[in-house]
Amino acid sequence: MRKYSALTRAGIMQELQFRLGTFATIFGNLIYLTLIYNLWKAIYASAGTEVVNGMTFSDTIIYLVLATALFNFLEMFIVWDMSRSIQSGAIVLDLLKPLKYRRLKFFEYFGRNVMTFFTTFLPTFIIVFFITKGAIKIGLNIIFFMISVVLALMVNFYIEMFVATICLHTESTWGINIVKESIVLLFSGATIPLVFFPEKFRIVVECMPFRCIYDTPLNILLQKPGYTMDTGLWTMLGMQVVWCAGLSVVSRMFWDISVKRITVNGG
Amino acid sequence: MSETMELRAKRGLAFYARIYRKVLAQDLKSKMSYRADFIISTFGMIMTNAVGFISFYILFQNFPSINGWNYYEMLFFYGFSLIALTPLQCLFDNNWSLRYAVESGDFIKYCFRPINVFFYFISEVFDVKGLGQLAFGIMVLVYAWIHLAIPVTVITMVQLVLLLITASLFMIAIMNFAAATCFWIQRSGYVMVLMFRFKDYAKYPASIFDGLFKIIFTFVIPIAFIAYYPALVILRPDEIPLLSYLSPALGMLFFYLSYKFWMLGARKYNGTGS
Repeated sequence: MRKYSALTRAGIMQELQFRLGTFATIFGNLIYLTLIYNLWKAIYASAGTEVVNGMTFSDTIIYLVLATALFNFLEMFIVWDMSRSIQSGAIVLDLLKPLKYRRLKFFEYFGRNVMTFFTTFLPTFIIVFFITKGAIKIGLNIIFFMISVVLALMVNFYIEMFVATICLHTESTWGINIVKESIVLLFSGATIPLVFFPEKFRIVVECMPFRCIYDTPLNILLQKPGYTMDTGLWTMLGMQVVWCAGLSVVSRMFWDISVKRITVNGG
Repeated sequence: MSETMELRAKRGLAFYARIYRKVLAQDLKSKMSYRADFIISTFGMIMTNAVGFISFYILFQNFPSINGWNYYEMLFFYGFSLIALTPLQCLFDNNWSLRYAVESGDFIKYCFRPINVFFYFISEVFDVKGLGQLAFGIMVLVYAWIHLAIPVTVITMVQLVLLLITASLFMIAIMNFAAATCFWIQRSGYVMVLMFRFKDYAKYPASIFDGLFKIIFTFVIPIAFIAYYPALVILRPDEIPLLSYLSPALGMLFFYLSYKFWMLGARKYNGTGS
């Protein structure tokens, strides 16, 4: 365990080094968030009703703003990192280490995620909390939200790792990555909350693992029906755990098969 | 060296067009040797556009109009923005590798040729998959055009082409500025990533903003000019705002400024010493 905590620490240090980048991200997010705010204000003003699909304007804003913050917090560049290290040959050095490669990557990124939680997610959360004046209830839901976010982080990692493994088979990183990104952003509810989806489409989307990344934690935080302690919180958390375990097995198997046929140029 | 410097000043458009054709042919040849990559990238491009369209469609299932703009008018902005963003994707994609070239020192090779550095660097890559976006954009625009029953005349056609070309300059200029920051700031990739995200919001009418933000998205990060202002000329010919008339000139001015900024960085560049 000590070697992995060392990796986590290294990740934290690495993230701390680029403070300028963090400031730019926060600044950029502020502009981006005003864009979202204005857009949805106009959308709700045109709707004529206060509540659409069970979501009020402030619900939608909290949902989308925190989805963006979660996106920054969970963002991983495993696909890019790995394809670059395959092309340069540096991946061999990591594979030779007496550590499991996937676990190595996980703890490296975990360190960064811990850091980005404090630098981007927490400030955004506090701002949103005060701006929406009590629309976010503070109670046990915060604890469940945190548990759900950790599960989301793991689901996200396994999906990333699965996609990164594809890069062992092809050099077309850009194409693979853009497909993954567009699918995840749509089906996880990061661009439009899942409740807005047409009924039939939504049922299909809810059977996919992507909702575990943004939709589930955010609905738990907002205490929407179906996500509270009395109405199915445990089912939702259980679903996250199941997806987590399932994806872990699948992505692990795919990795084990693929790594045998890796070809590295020099290195 | 002094001789080549003199030559540089005299070279005209025909010279650069000939060079561009040659560089382009080389680039396409090397791309063709990675057929799988080409197919996967094109598929990726179609996927992002399809997903963008689906989100748009879902939104309008819940809200029939936004700020007085109906579904087809919004589609018109959408298609317009996709087409206006194509030149950036196809012709200026090499800006994404600028920071790697600058950090590794490879950028110095561009400084030793007797042609314009900006031109040489940018011409090196032509991104074929951007054409998929163009096709998608044209489909959306034509579909919206038919449903809105806008007359097809010589004047509207000329306006459309002219407006699309000048509108494309705004996002190109934004990305030139963003890419050129790497001459001053190390690891400035996040600036480009950040700016690139704004292009997704070009498809919404700028009338949703008020006060300060209208000014920001019009003059500081001018995404309102990518689709909204130019498209008004065709969508609302009876009440065209002044900014729509000015948009071609502003586009050229903005592009020129970004070019100057880029060149300022390039001139400051000394290599890494290796």
